[in-house]
Amino acid sequence: MYKVLSTVKNNFLTTGILLISALFLFLPLIGATEFSLRDGGPDKHSFHSYKWIFEQSGFKENLGITIQVTTLAVLLNLLIMVPTVTWLHISGQKYRRFVEVITILPLIIPVVALATGAQTALPSFLHNTVLELSFMYVVIAMPYSYRALDIGMSGKPLNTYVAAARNLGASWRKILLSVITPSIWPSVLAALFLTVALSLGEFTLAQLLHWNTFPTWVSNVSQENILGATALSVGSLFFAWLLLFTFTFFGSNKAESAKNEE
Amino acid sequence: MSNTTDFTVVVKGASSSGGALHRLIKQIPIPLIPLLIFLAIFFFWPISEVALNAFKDNDGAYSFANIRLLFQDPYRLAFRNSISLGLISALVGSIFGLLIAIAIEKRGGAKLKKFVASISGVLANTGGVPLAFMFLAAFGPEGLMIKFLKVLGVNLYEWGFTLFSFPGLVIVYSYFQIPIMIIVFSPAVSSLRREWQESAENLGASRFAYWLRVGIPILLPSFLASFLLLFASAFSAFATARAMTVGNITLVPLVIGSLLDGNVTINQANLGYALALGMIVISILAMVPYLIIQSKTSKWQQ
Repeated sequence: MYKVLSTVKNNFLTTGILLISALFLFLPLIGATEFSLRDGGPDKHSFHSYKWIFEQSGFKENLGITIQVTTLAVLLNLLIMVPTVTWLHISGQKYRRFVEVITILPLIIPVVALATGAQTALPSFLHNTVLELSFMYVVIAMPYSYRALDIGMSGKPLNTYVAAARNLGASWRKILLSVITPSIWPSVLAALFLTVALSLGEFTLAQLLHWNTFPTWVSNVSQENILGATALSVGSLFFAWLLLFTFTFFGSNKAESAKNEE
Repeated sequence: MSNTTDFTVVVKGASSSGGALHRLIKQIPIPLIPLLIFLAIFFFWPISEVALNAFKDNDGAYSFANIRLLFQDPYRLAFRNSISLGLISALVGSIFGLLIAIAIEKRGGAKLKKFVASISGVLANTGGVPLAFMFLAAFGPEGLMIKFLKVLGVNLYEWGFTLFSFPGLVIVYSYFQIPIMIIVFSPAVSSLRREWQESAENLGASRFAYWLRVGIPILLPSFLASFLLLFASAFSAFATARAMTVGNITLVPLVIGSLLDGNVTINQANLGYALALGMIVISILAMVPYLIIQSKTSKWQQ
């Protein structure tokens, strides 16, 4: 009897916790969505404020800048990290601990502090282009991309793959592109999307290094029209979530089915 | 090519003995060089710039003037606010995250677990203006939530509630802190084996005794480590804080931000560096126990 009672009580408690957290998750979202659809008064609703977003000057330009910065950051990130982590797993095992420590540092050091130093550091030709942000984004994405790739490679017999490919006469470039990368595709995708998510929403470095990107533009136009700003916020949240959620949910599905096939 | 020259300049500045340095560089395996050069230019160079300039006065001469300012108001207050914001929001985030992680582990099927993992990964990356405006719209004086609560007979604003306040910031931060906690803490909860509880019960332990003697000691290291991570994330948050405060709460990242935005009087030229160094020191101090706990638990888990 006691056991039955305690299970009922337990189920009640866990359901309660899950319900309350679902409320905390969705209520602000629902409230903000309703607010962003208001037109003139609390009872009239339309997409008026969403149209306002596209009428603001700078929407396209700043989105374009952010896409450029993001693209370069993603390419640089994969170009540096995939070969390095591959090497660490094939023949540089004794350096893994060292790289693990130096790649986690950007997570520990506050980005505000990094931005303060970056103002006067960095090669001067980089200060003249918004693409300097891409280089900084590679650094702050490194803790995540290193771990994603490291986890992906840990379960794979990379040495066997490489030995087989070498025996068949493949070059290192060929091995990286057509053997290693496809075999760890889910974690390459994870590293890629983490960098994309981070670069699309990054505000601190862009603001403190005085560049205009999409997030700083959002911050500037938000001061003019609270309804429009809410529409912009809800819109960009939904967009980012859709992107990330599609990836994490279906990405892990794919990874799992790949595992099952093996 | 000019990247490499800049790199050597930095390294020379950091170390005075050229011969030893040369030997050290020779030992670095070639495949690691791209990563190391990249981090040297875009991470260690900026950080050393902060560390050096923090100890200079505004004419560039070495002095402790700016460091000494950190221990005086308003900067001392800014540090105190940032540290308590970090601690309180880490406490709130870690406790709720812990409860949710345990509830999901107990109740959840594989589908729910995967859903929560995905949604936490997404929410952990939410912040800045979009997050701030979402809460302002929902909990502002005209917002749906406030009206809804009014119907229930709760008038938050009559109680002096405002989102532009310390508790307001803690609530908004929870929106990304709780998901971070779920992500980093769930593996620890999953590692609690059902067999342990069953064998404890078979040996006559009550549920309370099981948690006191087995559950909590196993979860505690991961909990502390996650707590410190949440502290670091709230302590250094800039974008959300900037969007949520109207100059009414002094936080270190915001002070640095306004110094860098050009609101600088002549006698503050290097103050930003001193403040940034203060943040770095506190973050490192917070991570030292984290690293110790991590290495201890990983040893124990093997």
